[in-house]
Amino acid sequence: MSGYQDKIKEVALRLLKDGSVDMVIGFRKGTLPMMNEPCFIRRPEDVHQLVWDSNCGINLANYLTDRKEKIAVVAKGCDSRNIVTHIIENKIKRENLHIIGVPCQGMVDKRRIISEFGDTLLDVADDGENLKIKIHGSEKSLKKTDVLQSNCAACIHRNPVLFDELAGELVPEQAGVDRYAEVNRVEAMSPQEKWQYFEDLLSPCIRCYACRNACPLCYCPTCFVDESRPQWVGKSQDPIDIRTFHFLRAYHCAGRCTDCGACERACPVGIKVRQFTSKLNKDAFEMFGWEAGMTLDERPPLDTYKPNDPNDFIK
Amino acid sequence: MNLMEHMGIEPGRLQFSWISSAESTKFVDVVKTVTASVKALGPNTTYNKQAVKVA
Amino acid sequence: MTEFEPKIVSFLCNWCSYGAADLAGVGRMEYPSNIRVIRIPCTGRMSPKFFLSALSEGADAVWVSG
Repeated sequence: MSGYQDKIKEVALRLLKDGSVDMVIGFRKGTLPMMNEPCFIRRPEDVHQLVWDSNCGINLANYLTDRKEKIAVVAKGCDSRNIVTHIIENKIKRENLHIIGVPCQGMVDKRRIISEFGDTLLDVADDGENLKIKIHGSEKSLKKTDVLQSNCAACIHRNPVLFDELAGELVPEQAGVDRYAEVNRVEAMSPQEKWQYFEDLLSPCIRCYACRNACPLCYCPTCFVDESRPQWVGKSQDPIDIRTFHFLRAYHCAGRCTDCGACERACPVGIKVRQFTSKLNKDAFEMFGWEAGMTLDERPPLDTYKPNDPNDFIK
Repeated sequence: MNLMEHMGIEPGRLQFSWISSAESTKFVDVVKTVTASVKALGPNTTYNKQAVKVA
Repeated sequence: MTEFEPKIVSFLCNWCSYGAADLAGVGRMEYPSNIRVIRIPCTGRMSPKFFLSALSEGADAVWVSG
């Protein structure tokens, strides 16, 4: 872990010093434990702020949209896939990017740790395998693999797919994980049970749009929820409106979502927002053999036509 | 469409078809089958603001 | 109680199904009057916003036809 951090700093310093990039996007320590924040480093003397540990879950591709300057960006597996999506969608130019790939071993789910230790949490340190949790007067050690974010636990693309240099050795990919376990469980329900399941799932939603803002795919100049003429989606707290919002947000991510988990991480009330997108990911994979952001050479299934596209839903 | 059904809207609330502009008989057939299937399905009570208000 | 008469919002492509509906009218064919036709310039105009708002505003079903 700290090896990654030193290497990231070293690369960032070199790039800023020789002027090949205007800024480096990475993480620095936040004000609370487990809350690393994204930072834009423009001067070599600020490079020491950069950190890397298991709390860098925010997707940095989100900060690249429509940027014109030369940027070096720290990218784990999912970030790099979102960068590929950005390049395909002409939101950023490949030649303006220097990607510092970070093979990732999963990010921890801070909510699970907070719910276990409450507000007494003082500090969380990370040695790669274990988390050292400091609370008032005592210390505890947790195995990192036990507290991973749900999407990281089922991730099969931990290594960056596109990078200019690496911050460490590539890690072995996980095998034999069931990425769609939750989706399959819901699929087996009857329509009424499904309806109830999502009713319960969405009941705490306060429509803060944190999931939208954290998502690197959501960059429309005017989001559909802000449109008022015509207004397709009601802006109220009505359960139907809330459902429509989540519905449409998920549809906008169809064939583009890399399951980075940023939406779920950002949700202040802990809704499992990935329930929607992972269903679409499963469909994209099963119907078109497509996983978003894996290559620059292929167009996504939703903007190409192939004679063998599935069409049994049409009468 | 799969996502709609995944979220608990009954299959059949959203239907698709393809009819050429010369196929008036197919149009009539499809209208009949669509109407019959929705009749069998019954009223839309879940994904409906008005139904929620009445209830 | 009378039989349930569903309201079906139909989005018809100007060049395909809308033409077929026109032809059915010219041919004096009979079909159920449960459909409410909305003409769209092409099925490509269809957006999830449309059918979601149709359903949430009280339609019993949505039928999209190219």
